[in-house]
Amino acid sequence: MGKTAELLPGTLDMLILKAVSLKPLHGYGVLLRIRQISGDALDIPQGSLYPALYRLEHQGLIAAEWGQSENNRRAKYYTLTAAGRRRLREEAAGWKRLASAIASALNTTPEEV
Amino acid sequence: MGQRLRSLLRALTARRDFESGMAEELQFHIEEYAQDLARSGMALEEARRRARMEFGGMNSVKSECREARWLHPFDELGRELRYTLRLLRKSPGFTVTALATLALCLGANLTIFAVIEAILLQPLPFPHPGRLVTIFNTYPKAGVERDGSSIANYYERRGRIPAFSSLSIYRFGTAIIGEPGSTERDQITAVSPDFFKTVGSGPALGRVFTDAETTYQTDNVAILSNEYWRSHFNADPHVLGKQIRVDSFPKTIVGVLPPGFRFLSSESQLYLPLSSRLEARASRERHSGGNVIQMIARLKTAATLAQAQSQIDAQNTALERYDPQAKMIADAGFRSLVVPLHADQVTTVRPVLLLLQGGVFVLLLIGAVNLVNLLLIRANGRVKEWAVRRALGAGRRHLVSEAIVETTLLAVAGGLLGLAVGAAGVRLVVALGADRLPLGTHIAFTPQLAVVGFAAAIALGIALAIPTVWFTLRLHPANALQSEARTATAGRAAQALRHSFSIAQIALGFVLLVGAGLLGVSLQRALAVSPGFQPDHVLTGQISLVGNSYPSAAAGVTFIERLVDELDRQPGVLSAGVAVNIPFSGRNGKSAATVEGRVLLPGESERGHYSYGVDGDYFRAMGYSLKAGRFLTGDDSRRAKRNCVVDEDFARYYWPHTSPLGQKLFQGSSAGPESEAFTVVGVVGSAKQAGLTDDTAQGAVYYPYRYRPDSNIFVVVRGGLQAETLRVALQRVVKRIDPELAVSDVRTMDDRITASLLTRRSPALLGGIFSGIALLLIAIGTYGVLSYAVAQRRREIGVRMALGARPEQIRAQFLSLAMRLLFGGTVLGVIGAWLTGRAMQAVLFHVSPHSAAIIVGSASIMAVVSIAACLLPAQRAARISPMQALAEQ
Repeated sequence: MGKTAELLPGTLDMLILKAVSLKPLHGYGVLLRIRQISGDALDIPQGSLYPALYRLEHQGLIAAEWGQSENNRRAKYYTLTAAGRRRLREEAAGWKRLASAIASALNTTPEEV
Repeated sequence: MGQRLRSLLRALTARRDFESGMAEELQFHIEEYAQDLARSGMALEEARRRARMEFGGMNSVKSECREARWLHPFDELGRELRYTLRLLRKSPGFTVTALATLALCLGANLTIFAVIEAILLQPLPFPHPGRLVTIFNTYPKAGVERDGSSIANYYERRGRIPAFSSLSIYRFGTAIIGEPGSTERDQITAVSPDFFKTVGSGPALGRVFTDAETTYQTDNVAILSNEYWRSHFNADPHVLGKQIRVDSFPKTIVGVLPPGFRFLSSESQLYLPLSSRLEARASRERHSGGNVIQMIARLKTAATLAQAQSQIDAQNTALERYDPQAKMIADAGFRSLVVPLHADQVTTVRPVLLLLQGGVFVLLLIGAVNLVNLLLIRANGRVKEWAVRRALGAGRRHLVSEAIVETTLLAVAGGLLGLAVGAAGVRLVVALGADRLPLGTHIAFTPQLAVVGFAAAIALGIALAIPTVWFTLRLHPANALQSEARTATAGRAAQALRHSFSIAQIALGFVLLVGAGLLGVSLQRALAVSPGFQPDHVLTGQISLVGNSYPSAAAGVTFIERLVDELDRQPGVLSAGVAVNIPFSGRNGKSAATVEGRVLLPGESERGHYSYGVDGDYFRAMGYSLKAGRFLTGDDSRRAKRNCVVDEDFARYYWPHTSPLGQKLFQGSSAGPESEAFTVVGVVGSAKQAGLTDDTAQGAVYYPYRYRPDSNIFVVVRGGLQAETLRVALQRVVKRIDPELAVSDVRTMDDRITASLLTRRSPALLGGIFSGIALLLIAIGTYGVLSYAVAQRRREIGVRMALGARPEQIRAQFLSLAMRLLFGGTVLGVIGAWLTGRAMQAVLFHVSPHSAAIIVGSASIMAVVSIAACLLPAQRAARISPMQALAEQ
C-alpha cells in the first residue's frame, strides 16, 4: 500500500457520489472503487462509510435496492439519483474551483506579489 | 425536507426491516472483506477476525447509521417510554392515584366547561349573532322587573328606530296540531313577519309571512320546522299550499325552515303569524305587555347598543307625553331596556355556571398540587439512582426529558380517562336537568371539546414536570451520594416546597368546602320556604281552549264547569279547580289593580300584582289557607257576581288597619264605574309565584274566571293518593268532554317546585361532589407528605428512640407537623372563603356569605380529614424499632 492521504472533511460524500455514478455498487464495492479511482491514494475508514451512505440515501441523493452480488449473495446496491447527479456536478465544480485557487495560491512567486 | 420525512417515516414504520437490513448489509461488508483477505493468503479465521477489527465497533456504526436517518430521538423517546412504563408498573399505588386524580379533575372540568361552552360561549346560531338584541319594558318601582313588550310597542318602533335594521316580536306557545282524533300538542312560536329577517335565517322553502297575514281574519298560514316537515310530510317538496290544522283551524303551509333552525331553546314545530287586533296596536295599549310577547331587533352594522337605547328612550319620552297615565308610568320607573339577546338569555344562569367552573378549577389545582407533591416525593426517592447515573455520564438533559416523559405519559393516560369521565359527566348534568337551562339543549360532549380537553391534559403534564425538573437540576451528584444526603440542602428546599404545596392544597379545599356549604345551606333554606299552599297530592295540567267551540269566555265557563264536575266524580279526586295561571308555572306576568277610594301617596307608584281568574274549587284543590272570609268557588263564576279574593300581602299593603272584607277594587290601573267593581269576599295566604326564593311581597288578586278569562287554563286536581295516579283520569275526562282538546304539561305540583330549584339543587349537588373529591385528594396528599416525612427520618427516629424518646413524643412530633400544615391552610383558606363568599353573594339565599357556622364546620371537616390522614403515618413513626431503623443503612 502506497502513501495514503487524509480525507478532507466533506469530501467523502462527493467521493461516494462519484463512485456510484459510474455503476451501481454495494457498500464494500464503494470502498474498493474509491480506493481504485484514487489510485490507492485515498483510504476511507470502513466504519464511517455506512453512516455516510445512510445519510446520502436519507437526503435522496442515492437510492438503494437489494440485489445479487458477484458471488451470489444478497447485497444492497446503491445508484445515483437525479438529485445526486446534480449535487455531484455542483460539488465537483466547487471542488475544482477551490483546488485551482489553492494551487495558484501555492504557485505564487515573490515577483508576482 | 419532504424526502427526508418520507425516508424517516419509512424507517419508522418498517423498523424491523430497517434493522435487519442494516445488520445484513454490514455483515456482507465484513464477509466480503474477509474473503478478499483470505484470497491474499490469510487463514480464513484470521481474515474474519481482522476484517471485524478493521471495521470498528459494530454498535457505534449502527448507531451512527440510525442517527443519519433521524431515528435517534425516536429511539431515545422509546427507551424513555419503556423505562417510565416499567417504573410506573413497579409502583401501582402511585400510578393509580395519579391517573384517578387526573381523570376526575380533568373530567369534572370538561363537564362544567361543556355546559359553559354550550350556554355562555357558543354564539347563537344566526349570522352576526352579536348584533341581536332584545328590548323589554321594566317598571322596577311597581315591582315589575320585566314585562316583555306589547303589540303597540312593535308597531310604534318598527322602522322608526334608526339603530335597528330590523325589529320583530315573538311569542312562545303551544298548539294542538292535526285532524280531530289524531291531534298532538306541540310547541309553536308566533312571530311577526320580519322575525326571520331579524334573526337572519329564513325558510329554505317557500316564503315568510306578510303584513297582511297578521290579523285574526287573515292569519291562516304556517311555516314548518324542518323536523316537522320530515316527520309529518315525509319531506315532501310539494308541501307548499297544503293544509294543516292548528287548534282546529286550517292553515296553509307557506314555508319550510332550514334544518337545524332553532330559536333560543325553543323546540317549536310550527311558526305562525303573531296576529293582533287593530285596537291592540294603538299607543294607549303600549303598557299591556304582560311578559308574554318578547321583542328582538338587529343592530345596524355601525350602530351601538347605547345609540339604540337612547333612540328608544327618546321615542318613549315622546309617546308618553300624550299618555293620560304618564305620571303613573313614570312613577313606576318605566323604561324599555335594550340588552344583547344572548346575554339576556343566560343572565340568570351565568353567575352559577361561572361559580361552578371556578369550583371545579380549584379542584383541578388541588389535584395538580397533589400530583406535584407525589412526584417530588418520588423524585426524592430516586435521588441516589439519578446521582449514580449522572456519575456514570447521563446528561442533565436526559434526566429532565425523563421527568417530562413521565408526567406527560401520566397526563396523556389520565387525560384519556378524563375524556371518558367528562363524557359521563355531561350525561350526568343533563340528567340533573342542565338541558332545561336556557340554551341548555345545546349541551353536548363534542369532538372539539375532546380536543381541548386532551390539549389541556398535555399542557398539564408538562406543567407538572416543572417542579421535578427544578429539583433534578439542583441535584449535586456528590452530595446525593453521601449516605446522609437526605438532609442536604436540596432535600430541605424540596421539603419546604412540598409543605407549602400541602398548605395551598388545604386552603383551596377549604375554599371549596365553604363554597359548597354556602350553596347547600342556601338550597336547604330555599327548600324550607313554604310555597303558601299544599303541593303534595296535587296534579296540574294545561289546556288551551281554542278553536271554533270556544269563541267566548262563556263557552270556556261552560267547559270548565263540566270539567270540574266530572273530575269531582272521579274516584280518588278530593277537589278540582281551574286557574288561568298557577304558582311555579314559569309565567310571572303581573297586572295592575285599583283599590276603590284610594289615592296614591306622594312618591308611591302603581304596583303590579299577580292576578288570576279561578273557577271550580281551585283554592281547596291547591291547598291554600283561608285567612278571612271565604274562598271563591264555581258558584261565583256561574252566578256572575263580581266577587274577588286577595292574598295577605295584598291585604296588608292596602288595608293595613282595616278589614279587607267588603272592600272594592277594579281590574287595571284606573277605577271604573261602580258596576265593574269587585267586592273582596276573602283573604288567602300568600303563595310563591315565581319560585321559592322569590322574596318580594307582590300581592295577588283572584277573580272569578268569567271576569278574567284566558284561552290557556291550568286544571288542578287534588287526590287522596299519589297525584300521579290521577293523570290518566284527567286525560280521559278532557277527551270525553271535547275530543279536540288535549292536556299538556301534566305535572305534579311537587314536580314543578323541584324543577324551579334546578339552578340551586344541581350546583349544590355538584359542589358537594367536588368537595368530596377534594377532601379525598387532600387526604391522599397529606398522607403522602407525612408518610414520606416519616420514611425520610426513619434513621433519626431510630436514634432518638434508642436514646430513650418515647413513642408518644415521636407521634406528637408528626401530628404537630400535620397541625402546622392544617393551621396554615386554614388561615389562608378563611381569607379565600371570605373572598369567595363575596363573589357568591348573588346566588345565595338567606345565608350570610361569611357564615361563621359554615366556616367553622368546614374547618372541622378539614381538620378531621387531615388528622385522620396523618394518624397512620404518625403511628407508623411511633412504632419504628430502633434496632431495625439503625441496621438498615
